[in-house]
Amino acid sequence: MGITRISLLGHKDHGKSTLIGNLLIATNSVTEQRINDAKKTSKKLGRQFEPGYILDSFVEERENEMTIDTTRAQIRYKDSGFEFIDVPGHEELIKNMISGASYADFAVLIVSAKPGEGIKDQTRRHLFLARMLGMKKVIIAVNKMDTVGYGEKEFSRISRELSVFLVKIGFSGSGMHFVPISAYLNENLVKKSGKMRWYKGDSLIETMYSIAEEPNRSAGKKLRVVLQGRLEDGSIEKIAGKIISGTLRSNMKVNMVPGSAYVIKELFVKGKKSGSARRGENVAIVFDKKINGEARGRILCGEKDGFKASNSINALVFFTSKLVRKPMIRLNGLEVSAKMKVKNSVSVVTGEAEPKKEITKLGAANVELLLSGKVPSEPFDDTPELGRFVLYDGNEFAGIGIIN
Amino acid sequence: MIKQDLNELEERSIFIMREAKSRFKSVAALWSMGKDSTTMLALARKAFLGKVPFPVIHIDNSIDFPETYAFREYLAKKWKLDLIVVKSEIKPEMSGFACCGANKTAALKRLMKERGFDALIVSIRRDEHGIRGKERVISPRDRNFKWDYKNQPAELWDDYSSSRDSKGHVRVHPLLDWNELNIWQYIKREKIPINSLYYSRNGYRYRSLGCTHCTSPVKSDAKTIDGIMRELETTDTEERGGRDQDKEREYVMQKLRALGYL
Repeated sequence: MGITRISLLGHKDHGKSTLIGNLLIATNSVTEQRINDAKKTSKKLGRQFEPGYILDSFVEERENEMTIDTTRAQIRYKDSGFEFIDVPGHEELIKNMISGASYADFAVLIVSAKPGEGIKDQTRRHLFLARMLGMKKVIIAVNKMDTVGYGEKEFSRISRELSVFLVKIGFSGSGMHFVPISAYLNENLVKKSGKMRWYKGDSLIETMYSIAEEPNRSAGKKLRVVLQGRLEDGSIEKIAGKIISGTLRSNMKVNMVPGSAYVIKELFVKGKKSGSARRGENVAIVFDKKINGEARGRILCGEKDGFKASNSINALVFFTSKLVRKPMIRLNGLEVSAKMKVKNSVSVVTGEAEPKKEITKLGAANVELLLSGKVPSEPFDDTPELGRFVLYDGNEFAGIGIIN
Repeated sequence: MIKQDLNELEERSIFIMREAKSRFKSVAALWSMGKDSTTMLALARKAFLGKVPFPVIHIDNSIDFPETYAFREYLAKKWKLDLIVVKSEIKPEMSGFACCGANKTAALKRLMKERGFDALIVSIRRDEHGIRGKERVISPRDRNFKWDYKNQPAELWDDYSSSRDSKGHVRVHPLLDWNELNIWQYIKREKIPINSLYYSRNGYRYRSLGCTHCTSPVKSDAKTIDGIMRELETTDTEERGGRDQDKEREYVMQKLRALGYL
């Protein structure tokens, strides 16, 4: 079986790193050496043992008790493998959070039940981003249940409030799960907790396991190949490409967008000549004729496919900063400058469209982008890989967008 | 340690190496003759249709194992590698941090400047060390080789930032997602030639290979790849446990990497 990547999300100090640390220990997925190292550090800093130090390895992370940058840890459970992606919870580090979470198959969001903590704007913002990153499933782990006497009331209140929000931003009822835990005290992480008999569901790891077992949506069947560039020049030009969906065969007639019709003369997969290539494979292609200009960023599709390139796109954008320079978007290996028109702001806290037309830091908006050239793309919901982009303000990362 | 889908890992590494080659003017790779960087070369041969299209650098402190030198000559010839050997100075009073930090890095700095490489492929993996777990696939270094780990570029959706200091370079990490077990599974599947020091001799084998001064073997009866894989399924020690410099001091890896160590 393969590995399932899970991103841990949630507000700072709600217990992300502690949870992963304790899961690593409980499943024997970390060596004694690393546990002892974390113990030594805890002692040196005059603190109780903090399992989070197993992941937070930067000196600054341990001393300041915060995760600065994303990290990963693999655990084995039954016949399955999970890779946890820990991300920083601080608002200022959202760039690192997005970088880490973008690799995940689904998310576990931690929210603290402790009085005074609870659901924060950042809690909702992380869920909003999870949806934009294409995640269809999420587990809400209601943490620090020990601070509310393991009672059901606070768990139900948080679950109710978040499920309303999740539906509003596009999650389905079957795509959300709620589990009460105490990450620090190991309650309901691997073994079912005896302290919350009112809870009828599975432990956290069992819930993850059953989600990982669910079959993934089958990818689209339409042929989509992103060209990466020229692999070899010379008399026989070889072009590198990655198959996003569908199957590519030699002697096949394809459409290059932008461009015209081509025939696949030869195909190489894993360094060897091959008759066909499928989703996920990187190929080298010899076409029947040379390509004029840059190959990078062009898309191959079927002969009669209506796939198009356009210089105007409508998108939902999340901003990590206000834009001060000319925006630029990057997608499929291309870099294109853009003019942006805000149609309306979208609240990442309520999930609702707002009448104002503002760009706010850590906020979202529906926008229209006029691009400096024609760019092939299609809606995110059809082909995620071809319907998303990274936004830059000059050279600075400024957010992400998904195409409507 | 977890088995991952080798095909998936392989495709990702191929994509990253092609990306490096198409985005940067002058790419080179570090080759220590160890299992990871040798696996990287095997992957490069897949990505680039049977050849390694960039120079491979061995930073030679003259105290590597004889088996390591022999393996270097053997594979360089077999795979027609464009091998660059740079001699690094070794001072008897230096070891661990000072040795790897000062000597190897200094030698590499000289070479990079001389040859004008703007991208360096390095075969580190996330599971080797907590600090390496924090790395990006394409990671900028400034002109002094410094790693600005508090402000790393965003990296998502196969989009790797290429921003760098005009006199700096980027590190390219095609094996970041692999773990130690996956490397051995792949070596077996692809029949990749490997340094004989990894196999047990007289009850000991090298699990991680550095120079003769700082690496010690671990107790092991694993004389085959299958034996090594069985051992890894149940091990309770760190891969780099036989490396002095990691043990020397806490955060030593963070300091080394911030200064440009590999």
